[in-house]
Amino acid sequence: MIISVNWLKKFTAVDLPIDELTKLIGARIVEIEEVVDLGAKYKDALIVRVVECGPLEGTDHLNVTKIDDNGVRPDVERDENGLVQVVCGAPNVKAGMLAVWLPPNSVVPDSLGTSEPFVLTAKKLRGAVSNGMLASAQELALFEDHTGILEIDNDAEVGASFAAVYELDDYLLDIENKSLTHRPDAFGIIGFAREIAAVQGKLFVTPEWLAQLDPTYGDKVGDIVVPTVEIDDPDLSARYQAVVLSGAEVARQSPLEIQTYLARVGVRPINAVVDVTNYLMMLTGQPLHAFDYDKLVAVGGGKVDIHIRVGRENEKLELLDGRTIELTSSDIVISAGSQAVGLAGAMGGLNTAIDEHTKNIIIESATFNLYKLRATQMRHGIFSEAITRFTKGQPPELTAPVLAEAVKLMSEWSGAQPISGVVEAQGESDDNRSISLTASRVNSILGTSLSLSEIENVLRSVEFAVVEVDHVTLAVAAPYWRADIHIVEDVIEEIGRLRGFDAIAPTLPSHDFSAVSPSAFDVMRARTRQLLARAGANEVLTYSFIHGDVIVKAGQVVDNSYKIINSISPDLQYYRQSLTPSLLSLVHANLKQGFDNFAIFEINKVHPKNAGFTDEAVPIELDALALTIASSKNQASAPYYQAKEFLEYLASGLGVVLRFEAVSVDLDQPQAVLFENKRSATVLDQFGTVLGVVGEYKKSVSKGFKLPEFSAGFEIDIAKLFEAMRDLKPGYVPLSRYPSVERDVCFQVAADVTYRRLIDAINEARGTAALAVEVAPVDIYQPVDGTTKNITVRLQLTAQDHTLTSEEASGVVQIIADKVVLATGATII
Amino acid sequence: MQSINDVSQALLAQVVTSDTPRDILKSSEIKDLYNQIAQLDPSERGAYGKQVNTLKLNLMSAIEVREAELDNATVTPIDISAPWDVNSRPLGLLPTTYGSEHPLMKELSVVIDIFTRMGFAAIESRQIDDDFHMFGALNFPENHPARDGYDTFRTEENFIPPAHTSTMQHRILKDGKARLEAGGQIAAVSYGRVFRNEDVDATHEHTFYQCEGVFVSETATLGDMLGTLRAFFESYYGQALKIKTQPAYFPFVEPGLEFAIERPAALGGKPGEWLEMLGCGMIHPNVLLAAGIDPTQYQGFAWGGGIERLVMLKYGIEDLRHFESGKLQFLRKFV
Repeated sequence: MIISVNWLKKFTAVDLPIDELTKLIGARIVEIEEVVDLGAKYKDALIVRVVECGPLEGTDHLNVTKIDDNGVRPDVERDENGLVQVVCGAPNVKAGMLAVWLPPNSVVPDSLGTSEPFVLTAKKLRGAVSNGMLASAQELALFEDHTGILEIDNDAEVGASFAAVYELDDYLLDIENKSLTHRPDAFGIIGFAREIAAVQGKLFVTPEWLAQLDPTYGDKVGDIVVPTVEIDDPDLSARYQAVVLSGAEVARQSPLEIQTYLARVGVRPINAVVDVTNYLMMLTGQPLHAFDYDKLVAVGGGKVDIHIRVGRENEKLELLDGRTIELTSSDIVISAGSQAVGLAGAMGGLNTAIDEHTKNIIIESATFNLYKLRATQMRHGIFSEAITRFTKGQPPELTAPVLAEAVKLMSEWSGAQPISGVVEAQGESDDNRSISLTASRVNSILGTSLSLSEIENVLRSVEFAVVEVDHVTLAVAAPYWRADIHIVEDVIEEIGRLRGFDAIAPTLPSHDFSAVSPSAFDVMRARTRQLLARAGANEVLTYSFIHGDVIVKAGQVVDNSYKIINSISPDLQYYRQSLTPSLLSLVHANLKQGFDNFAIFEINKVHPKNAGFTDEAVPIELDALALTIASSKNQASAPYYQAKEFLEYLASGLGVVLRFEAVSVDLDQPQAVLFENKRSATVLDQFGTVLGVVGEYKKSVSKGFKLPEFSAGFEIDIAKLFEAMRDLKPGYVPLSRYPSVERDVCFQVAADVTYRRLIDAINEARGTAALAVEVAPVDIYQPVDGTTKNITVRLQLTAQDHTLTSEEASGVVQIIADKVVLATGATII
Repeated sequence: MQSINDVSQALLAQVVTSDTPRDILKSSEIKDLYNQIAQLDPSERGAYGKQVNTLKLNLMSAIEVREAELDNATVTPIDISAPWDVNSRPLGLLPTTYGSEHPLMKELSVVIDIFTRMGFAAIESRQIDDDFHMFGALNFPENHPARDGYDTFRTEENFIPPAHTSTMQHRILKDGKARLEAGGQIAAVSYGRVFRNEDVDATHEHTFYQCEGVFVSETATLGDMLGTLRAFFESYYGQALKIKTQPAYFPFVEPGLEFAIERPAALGGKPGEWLEMLGCGMIHPNVLLAAGIDPTQYQGFAWGGGIERLVMLKYGIEDLRHFESGKLQFLRKFV
C-alpha cells in the first residue's frame, strides 16, 4: 500500500523531517519498505500559459507555440515579448490554455530512474526550435492518458511550480500491508493520519463528515424511484446501503488535483464517477461500487430489487474484467431480482457496468463477511484494492458517512443528483463492548509502571472512549473504526505501541534455577556429522520435496509419497520417501564440476506414506542418514566395501557394533529399493534390529541418475542407530599382563564360501579354547580362474594368567583350523 | 491383417521374456503396420498413424523396463561379509581435509546451545503437519486473511509442510502445562525446516530453517521478552547490543513486534544500522486457552526467526540458494 505524506498532511500536522517521520512510523505503526521522493521528479516542471499556437509549416500535426512562464526559467531563449517557443504535437494544444512545461535541461519525469533518463534540450524540430516540451500526464509519470498534453484545470499562477500547485513535492511511503492485516482503519489515509497524530502525541480530529454516523444524503430531485434491498442471510453482510443518482456525466473528469492524488497512490483516474468511489476508498478504507442503474433495472425485470445472497449451483457471472466465473455457495453475490450483477466485495458484473452511455447510477456502500470474501478472493484470484480492504473487516458504521460524502462529490464532480432515498438492509454485526482495564494488568503484561492517567491519555489520543470506573479501573470502548479491538490484550498492545515498545526496559524473566540438558539425539547427530566430516564426507541439505520422475528413477512407488497440490514446480511435487534419491541427484553435477572422488551425506526427515500416523493423526516422520560415495576414476575395489568402511567408521565412533547380513529377499522398503541386493547388505545393530542397508545401486538406478561405475552408499534409520548406541553396555576386557602370540593362517576355499562362514567357524572354535583369540583379516586373494580364493587371517592368542608356549599356541590354532576346514571345506596352505 | 491392438499385445508379451527386447522394434509386425498406412484412405491415415505411434511408445517403455531388469540380472554377487574386495586392500576413507559439516547445521547448533544454556529445552520441529497445529491452535480462524502471509503448501490429504516452527507451539504448551501448574515455567525452543510457497531467488527460498522460542510463567512480561532476546544476541555476538522493535501483526501474539539489533562489531558494525532478526510478542490468550492453560493466571512470550540470515551475515554468503544446492564448491568452503 502506498501512502502519500502530503495527503496525510491534509488531516494532521506533520512537522518531522521525512527520515524522522519514517523512523517513527517504523517503530510505532508499521514497517515501511520504501520511501520515494516524488518532488524530485517535478523540480523543473512549470505551469505556463500557451499564448500563441499555430501549425508548423510543412507538418501535418505539429504546432509551434509561444508560452509564457512569467520569465521564471533562466537561460532560455525568449522572443522580444519574453515568450518561449515550444513545438508541440498534441492534438489538444491551443492558445489560452494552461499547460505544464518541461524546460531544456530538465529530465522527463517518466524517464527518471530508468536506465536512460531523457534530458530535454533546445533543439530544432522540422526547422523550428523547441525549447523543452509541453508534457502529457504520461510523460509526467502521473497516469496513462492519450488525449494529449495535460491541461491545468484551475487558475494557477503562470510560472508557478507544477509540483507546488498540485502538492507533488511529496514523499510516498510503501507500507508492508501484512502488518496491518488487523487494522481496517489504517487502509484509509484518514485512519493512517490518525495514527500519525497519535504517535506524534497530537490531538486528531476526524473530519466532520466522517464522524457523522447518521448523515443526510442531499436533496432528491426529479423522478423519485424506490429501490429495495434485502440481505437474504444475515451472516453475509452486516450492512448494505444503496442510493440512485441521476444525470451523471461520465465524460467528465474529476478535478486534476484529485487525479494526481489517485495516480500517486497507484490508482488510475478513469472518470468522475469512478474516481469518486476510488477516492473515498483511498481516503476512508470503505470501498464503494457504482452500477449502471438502467442496466440493473433491465436485468432485474423492470425494478430495483437488490438481494445479497450466496451463489447458486451452476450459476455463472461475467465480471468487469471479461472473465466468466462459476459461482459457488460460498461466494457472496449481489443480485438484481434473481440475476447476479456482482461478486460482492470483489468485482462488479459486466451486465451492469458503467459505460459511456451511462446516465443513472446506483452507488453501493456495504460491508461483507470477510472470511467468505477471502475464500472468494482465493478461489477466483481477485486481488483488487477493494477486496484487500473488505477482507480486513470494515465496520458497518462506516458505510453511511462515506455514502453521504459520495453523493456530495458525485454531484460536484459528475453532476449526478440523488433520485431515491438511501435504502438499507442490516445483517449481523459484532457489538462494540466496553473493556475493563487496570493499570496493574497493563503493567504486568508490558513490564512497565504506567499510571492510570498516562494510560487514559494514550487511549484518548486515538479516540477511545475512556471512563474511570473507580480509581484503579478504566472502562474502555474502542471507536467504531477499530474493529480489531476485542479483548484487554488488544488495548494493552495499543498502549505499548503508541507509547513505543522501545521505551520498555528489557529485563530477564524469573526462571527456576535448574539445568537443561541438550537432547541426547541432537548430541548424537552432531557427533555423526563430525565423524563423517572427519572421514572426508561433505554434509548436504537437499529439499524435502522431489520430482515424481526421481521417485520413479529410484524404483520407488509414487503413491507412497505425499503429493503437494499447490507445488511451485514439478521438481517439488512429492515428499521424499528416503534421502538417497536426493543425494544421487547431486552426484552427476558435482562430478561434472571436476570433483572426481567424494562422499556426500545428509541427515534429515523422510515421509513415506507407509510409515503410518502418530496418535495426533499426522504422518509419522522417520529420521534418516544417507551417504553416497562416487568416483569417476577406476578403483581397485568394489565400491560396496568403501561405503561399508564409512559406515563402520561412524559406528565405531559412536561405539556401536554393526552386523552385515546378506539380503535374502528383495529389498522393497523405499530406502532400500534402490540397492542391488547381490551387492548390498542389510545393516543390523548388535541386538539384531535392522537399521538400513549399505551397498551398490541397481544398474537401472545408476543409469537413471547417471552415476559413475564407482558409486555406492548407505541409508539407515538414525533414530534406531541412536537407540543402539544408547542401549549399549560397555564391553571392556582387562588387559593381560602376558604377551600375545600371533599366527597367520591361509585358507583356500571355494569362491562362493563367504568370509563370514570362515569367521563363524573360527568363532565357534575359539569359544572352546581356554585362551582369548582375536581374529583379523590379512589378505584375500583370488587366482585368475576365479574358482577359489585364499583368505589369510591373523589369530592373536592371549592368556590371562601365563605366557603362552609355542606348542600351546599351535594347538589352539590347529583346533581352529580344523574347525574351519570342517565347516568350509578349506585347504590350509 | 492383424489389428493394432493384437499386434501390441503380442509384442508386449514378447518383450517381457526377451533377452534382446530392443530387437522387437525392428520386427516384421511393426514394418507391416507402417506399410499399411500407404494403403489407407488419406482421411483415416492420421488416426491410424497416431495409434501406431502410441503402440511404439508403449513398446519403448516396456523395453526400457525389461532392459533394466536384464541389466540388474547380469550383476555378479560379491561377498558382502568380507572386510574388503578380493585381491585388494581397504580403500580407506577420504582425506579429512575434504570433509565438511553444513554451515546451517553448524550454526543451528550454536543457536540451540545458547538457548539450552539459558534454560530452554530444544525440540525439533515437524516437516509435515496438520491445519490445527499450523493455524487453528494459533488463533488463525479458517479463511483468516493473516493466513495469506504464510503461503502454505498443502498435500492431497490436506496436510501442511509447516510454514513456521510455531507449528510446535501448541505441543510445547500442552506438554508444559503440568510443569506450569506445579509452580514452574515453560521454556523451550523448537527448530527445524519450514516451507513457503515462494519463488526462489538470491534472497528467497521455499525451504529454510527457523528457531522459535516460548516462555510462559505467572509473571512473564514484554520487558522480559526484550531482555531474553537481547541476552541471546549478546551471547551470540559476544558483545553488548542495542535493540529496537517495531509493531507487527501475527495472530498468535498480542502485542506483536519485529525485533532488530544494531549491527554488531563482528559484522563490521555501524551505529544506526539495524538488522531485523525475528518476530515476537506476548502469546495470545486464545493460544494459551487452546492448550488448556488459563490465560488469566499465566502469560508468556514467543519469538521466531530464520537461521539462514545469521549464517549469511556471519560468512557474507551472497545467495540463499547455495544452502540447498548440494554444490561441493560451496560446501567445501566450510571445512
